[in-house]
Amino acid sequence: MIALATFRLAAYVRSHRVYQAALLALAMLAILHGSRAPRGEEAGVLTDTAVLIIPILAWAARSLLDTEPDQQRELSAVTTGGRGRELAAGLMAAFTTCAGFAGMGLAASLLLGVSATPEPAVLVAGIALHALAALTGTALGALTSRAILPSPALSIMSLVLGFLLMLLLSASPLYWLTVPVVVWMRAANDGELIGRFPELAAVSLAWCLLALTLYAWRRLRR
Amino acid sequence: MRLSKISFRYRRRGPFVIEDADTELSPGDVIELTGVNGAGKSTLLRLLAGLARPTQGTITGRPEVVGFAPDRFPTGQPFTVTAYLRHMSRIRGGARWEPWAERLTMGHLLALPLGELSKGSAHKVGLVQALMAEPGLLILDEPFAGLDADTRDVLPSIAAEVAGRGGIVVASDHQGGLRGLTALRRWSLIDGHLKEGTTAPAPASPAVPTQTAGPAQTPATMTPHTSATVPTTGTPHTPTLTPATGRPHTPDPAGATCTPPTPTLTPATGAAHPAAAGSVQAPVPTPATGTTQTSAHPPAAGSMQTPAHARAVNAAQTPASATSSAEGGAAGRSLTTVAVTLPADDLPEFLARMRDEGYRTHEIEETG
Repeated sequence: MIALATFRLAAYVRSHRVYQAALLALAMLAILHGSRAPRGEEAGVLTDTAVLIIPILAWAARSLLDTEPDQQRELSAVTTGGRGRELAAGLMAAFTTCAGFAGMGLAASLLLGVSATPEPAVLVAGIALHALAALTGTALGALTSRAILPSPALSIMSLVLGFLLMLLLSASPLYWLTVPVVVWMRAANDGELIGRFPELAAVSLAWCLLALTLYAWRRLRR
Repeated sequence: MRLSKISFRYRRRGPFVIEDADTELSPGDVIELTGVNGAGKSTLLRLLAGLARPTQGTITGRPEVVGFAPDRFPTGQPFTVTAYLRHMSRIRGGARWEPWAERLTMGHLLALPLGELSKGSAHKVGLVQALMAEPGLLILDEPFAGLDADTRDVLPSIAAEVAGRGGIVVASDHQGGLRGLTALRRWSLIDGHLKEGTTAPAPASPAVPTQTAGPAQTPATMTPHTSATVPTTGTPHTPTLTPATGRPHTPDPAGATCTPPTPTLTPATGAAHPAAAGSVQAPVPTPATGTTQTSAHPPAAGSMQTPAHARAVNAAQTPASATSSAEGGAAGRSLTTVAVTLPADDLPEFLARMRDEGYRTHEIEETG
């Protein structure tokens, strides 16, 4: 399965699709961290980056999963011994890609965004939020990939609208109905990130796992 | 490996592509799967490979290592042949692909990007990735399409090797490339139903076949108004009906031995002279000699001559370009109905081939 994930990552890089998401991420990070935030806002800087990079991560995940032709996907499933393994390898490759880009965002935040070194607890929470962002991007990208939505137009619209819906819902009292990204930012700006982290992480993780389960179910029932 | 009453359809209320397929595959089997375009061959192969789940029924006992060579290898990938095969080898746990590449004469292709390969060359890449892990189940979708002569020659022996070490080979094939193999099992998909026939070993030489009289149910003579392609030594052969001008076939004076002609029907003139217009009794290979007989005096068009072991087929045949007068044929060509008698096992393939060639065929119940 790791060999198949490596194969898919290699295809993603060699096809140059990786540059689409990389350039977009660099542009976003350059704008976001054009000027350093004042001291004491380290948690806000880290959280904002983790939230705003999610659509780019979803784009990257979708792009990686779509690099492989449909027939190669079938060959890969036969080669690895089942569609479940092929699916898992694809998700592993997508998450690895998203984690790489999220790591790039985290590095940019620490190098360009903050004016002081964050407290260890804030830093750990920031790293965890970037990991959750990578998982969220993987799930959103997977659900809008060609294997689920064959139409490219529908797929891109779904990706953008999915992220907008996530923002809208998480800004409402029903924030627990999605990955509560706006609540992440509010909690960070209010200095409550550490205290509310377990709750927010649990809700976020649950929705990510649900989305990935839906993706797997849709793929495997075909 | 067992297929237990499997049926498959793509959508919940859609038509069944495959219905009630029930059969067993044993180690060492080589299976040729035939059927018209869209009959469901690739779907059946995907079911066998585990790429799709049957809507009904189960497939059990699938070998752990499966090799699958698709009919169209996906060349839209950013790899050279070597890079691609190395990746596949790693996925297969380090299987050796180099011997297979050499055997399929791919040395000159290894440095090329996949996107620059011709159809046949890409097909070879698909074959190598399927073969490299010594599969217990090898599935080949149209394996001979686009291949050069050398590779076409070597492929049956590769299939035989896989079967020889206990593997199962299933190949959908319109071109009969595996028919030289002994004990080839033949599956046909007709209207969603899987039917099976078996074949005897192929002749040593595919040279001009000779008709030999045998213990037949009809005299071993060939009549002027009918003709049939005659396989030897039981080689499976399905007669070909071709629209013709009604020119009679001239039998070999030797009687018992003759060069097999192509069966001909006479649709254009059949209406006027039904008795002489294309009533044909198809080849009936006997187990021992494969002798084929034709009816000396076939009945009127549309009737049947049916050996006890064979089912009757009423083949209403119309050339693709012809139109029945009953259907308002503008060309003024008439429709002729003929009866064909052939071994029951050959029926599915015969019907498929006739449909491929543009004839309308209908199987009818034997009425005695």
